[in-house]
Amino acid sequence: MKRKEFIRQLGLIAGGVTVGLDKVTAATAYAYNPVQVNMQATNGKIMVLVQLAGGNDGLNTVVPFQDDIYYKNRPDIAIKKADALSLNGEIGFNPSMTALKKLYDNNKVSVIQSVGYPNHSRSHFRSTDIWNTASDSNVVLQEGWAGRYLNSIFPEYPVKLPEQPMAIQLGSVESLLLQTDLGRLGTVFEDPNTFFTLVNGSTSDNDAPPATLAGNELKFLKQVAVQSIQYSAVIKTASDKGTNQMTYPNTGLGRQLSIVAKMISGGSETPIFLTTIGGFDTHANQLGQHFNLWKTVSDAIATFQTDLEKQGLADKVTVLTFSEFGRRVNQNGTLGTDHGSTAPMFVVGNSVRGGIIGANPNLSDLDGNGDYKLKIDYRQIYATVMRDHLGVESASANSILKKDFEWLPIYRKSAERTPSESAFDLVQNYPNPVEGLTKIRYVLNKQQPVRLTLHDMTGMELMVLREEIQDPGTYTQTVDMSTMPSGLYLYSLMGEGGQRKSLRLVVSRG
Amino acid sequence: MPIWNKDSARHLLSRALFGYSRKDLDKALSYSTLSDFVEKELLATIAAPKAPGDWVSTSPLKEQIDKNLVGDWYRQFTYWWYGLMVTEGTSMRERMVMFFHNHYTSQRSKVQYPQHMYAQNKLFRDFAFGNLKDLTKAVNVDAAMIIYLDSNNSNGAVGKTPNENYARELMELFTLGIGNYTETDIKQAARALSGWSVSGLDVKFDKTRWFADKITFLGKTANFDNKTIVDHIFTQDAAAEFLCTKLYKEFVCHKPDTVFIKKMAAVMRTANYELKPVLKFLFTSDEFYKEEVVASKIKTPTELMIGTLKALDTKTPDWTNVYDTGRLMQQQLFEPPDVAGWEGQREWISSTTYVTRGGLTDSFITGKRYNGVAVTGKTDSLAYIKSFKTSEDAVKLVDDLVALMVRFPLSATKKKFLLDTLLDGTIVTNWSTGTPMADARIQRLLKAIMRLPEYQLA
Repeated sequence: MKRKEFIRQLGLIAGGVTVGLDKVTAATAYAYNPVQVNMQATNGKIMVLVQLAGGNDGLNTVVPFQDDIYYKNRPDIAIKKADALSLNGEIGFNPSMTALKKLYDNNKVSVIQSVGYPNHSRSHFRSTDIWNTASDSNVVLQEGWAGRYLNSIFPEYPVKLPEQPMAIQLGSVESLLLQTDLGRLGTVFEDPNTFFTLVNGSTSDNDAPPATLAGNELKFLKQVAVQSIQYSAVIKTASDKGTNQMTYPNTGLGRQLSIVAKMISGGSETPIFLTTIGGFDTHANQLGQHFNLWKTVSDAIATFQTDLEKQGLADKVTVLTFSEFGRRVNQNGTLGTDHGSTAPMFVVGNSVRGGIIGANPNLSDLDGNGDYKLKIDYRQIYATVMRDHLGVESASANSILKKDFEWLPIYRKSAERTPSESAFDLVQNYPNPVEGLTKIRYVLNKQQPVRLTLHDMTGMELMVLREEIQDPGTYTQTVDMSTMPSGLYLYSLMGEGGQRKSLRLVVSRG
Repeated sequence: MPIWNKDSARHLLSRALFGYSRKDLDKALSYSTLSDFVEKELLATIAAPKAPGDWVSTSPLKEQIDKNLVGDWYRQFTYWWYGLMVTEGTSMRERMVMFFHNHYTSQRSKVQYPQHMYAQNKLFRDFAFGNLKDLTKAVNVDAAMIIYLDSNNSNGAVGKTPNENYARELMELFTLGIGNYTETDIKQAARALSGWSVSGLDVKFDKTRWFADKITFLGKTANFDNKTIVDHIFTQDAAAEFLCTKLYKEFVCHKPDTVFIKKMAAVMRTANYELKPVLKFLFTSDEFYKEEVVASKIKTPTELMIGTLKALDTKTPDWTNVYDTGRLMQQQLFEPPDVAGWEGQREWISSTTYVTRGGLTDSFITGKRYNGVAVTGKTDSLAYIKSFKTSEDAVKLVDDLVALMVRFPLSATKKKFLLDTLLDGTIVTNWSTGTPMADARIQRLLKAIMRLPEYQLA
């Protein structure tokens, strides 16, 4: 497709999406738009998630080979002591994981033991949703945690699309992880070139859909169309420019990670990539299947890590594995294991400390369902990756996860800005969406001049909420939005040295 | 009772069938009342189709997999089912078979033998308008299901731990929904359901591998077996509401209306889980036709493909193209993504699947896939347009095509965009199917209509 044609189609499709932006000239936008001068954007770091769909059997992944109870419960499907790849004389990897073991020996793998959440759901679907939305077991959230993180660093979406895709998922069906109330933040594809070819010919129009049930579905379709058109070229460019310096295993996950590496090598600034491998629901004859699955995962991740190291890119990237649940301690009658709860997780990369975090499973202390008990909440890992790798301020990380979690020693050092680098933090307002009153909280690390303002989505200043010199501490500003029309707004805090952070506020009535 | 006219008929046919042709619409409107049409056409019992091949009755043998005979059989089987859909006329039977395929799911990748998947498909066809309780009992001992959810050789004898996979999904996904049973109920149900295995094309029961003692399940203590356990599940209030919610989301709207669903569930209980009265209640209700639900459904890939072929009067579709593209759009028949089936609505749409939909509809018009591979049986666009009475009047022609193909109301601007695409610079009065390049202009128009985001809604 010719560039001109491309832009024409984008204009046709974008109906309602870029409304209002043309009122702001480049110069004024640069000077005043809280979106343009924003300290919270990405720090250049990348998180690659590997989803192990189906419920990974943790005990045969990180094997407690000194524990008799393990062998008693799994007479036919336990990993033999002699076969486990010992990590510390007590526990060891599945024998298929030689490649990951090598990385472990080089302190590039942090193994986090006994991860889960209280009242673990044993439904594939509900539990996958919980892991994706980072909710409590009894709370249903509609927005993915990565989506909420992206919303906080790209407050201008969906009025303006960031230049680079906010998140990329290798696959076809977009994960809840990347969905938010304001739209799908992920660009989803299997192959950059095929994707680019397919986009050719996509058109739409600029009628704003009515606010009806069907109209909302149409609006959603248009948003996907716009993102596809805008990003297919960006993605192809990065992938064409980048290289792989390793030959990847010819597996689904191997191919996915080779594309991720190529894009990072080609200069992609997308902070989140999601890859997936299925088949972990090993109810029957699991020994061979599970071995093969972990050989695939271990080989693919190790190749990816080596590829990035060779290209000098490994410091930017962290790989995180997750699965909806672990499996029951005892084997079932069909040489497999049924749904359990707690399981280990892996974080891989140059910047991790390596080693084992958390207590090994205590198989003599099982819950009523026959599962070992959790020691670490899965959200502690999310919180820590956000703060220590992606550089999210502590208060903001907690606000994204809707709760305060204890940090884990996964990384050698934190990427969080020190008080000298970052004088303040601004947190998502509550409640949001709002009908009338809402509270904006911010934390000052030192005394400084503070200017808290409210803007429309074009960046135009609507209200000065506070302007004074303030001492260090936590402040809450109550804002009355009851006279403002429904829609999206930005609020912005400017502190010492003109540093600025903006977040989005939604007014919704009726 | 809702008004029976072109609008209500179009809505009903695009939801209760895999789309429709002009002929189907005429046939529907030849009935003077909605109720007549629903009873005598939509829900009428029709003759069973011939099997897709002799392989359906051959005993499963490992060599059929080793020689990949099963791959060809699955293709034959899939093309056969697509064929039944595209020639379904105004019978809803195949649409219900699809509903059940996505409800009592099984995946060919695990079941392996198409013989079993065919038997399951036939079961769904036999029960298309049948009794849900009886169907659930039949599903318990369906060979494909026994393999898919690991009931095969599940041993529930005293001291053994039977496989819980089927017991869980029976309640979570097939009958009650999450929250209406406990983990203990699952463990107990697994005992009652144990003892079955697949042998050749049949299933067999081994009493010594079954838990014959009393269990307490959903508050009742008894010697449950694989049939009585279903009877007890269906005494739960949650069952009818769960199943009606699923039907509602499939046929009416992705946002369930709980007040209406309660009424529907009452009809279902009174009918002792017979489907026909429930479907009739649904399709003759005002709820089904209310304005806000019209055009709110995102078509499934199969509905998009079959519906387009019907609207274009395609006689000999290129099933290879349909099969391959269906897969790219994430709906390979007999291979739902997991036991919960295809979730539907927005889950169909991602950056990739959205643009693949456009590539598919283009291919029916141009005779080429996005990657250049030739597509056979493409629409003869000129002949197709000439079959419209309004073919020589550009404005009316666009109106007719839009009325046939697009359920979402198009604005005047959008219709003008389509008209301009057809006219391509000339004026309305100059339009005729005899003008030079008329064929190319028609092709552009048809592609443009089906590339509208609105086209994805039914």
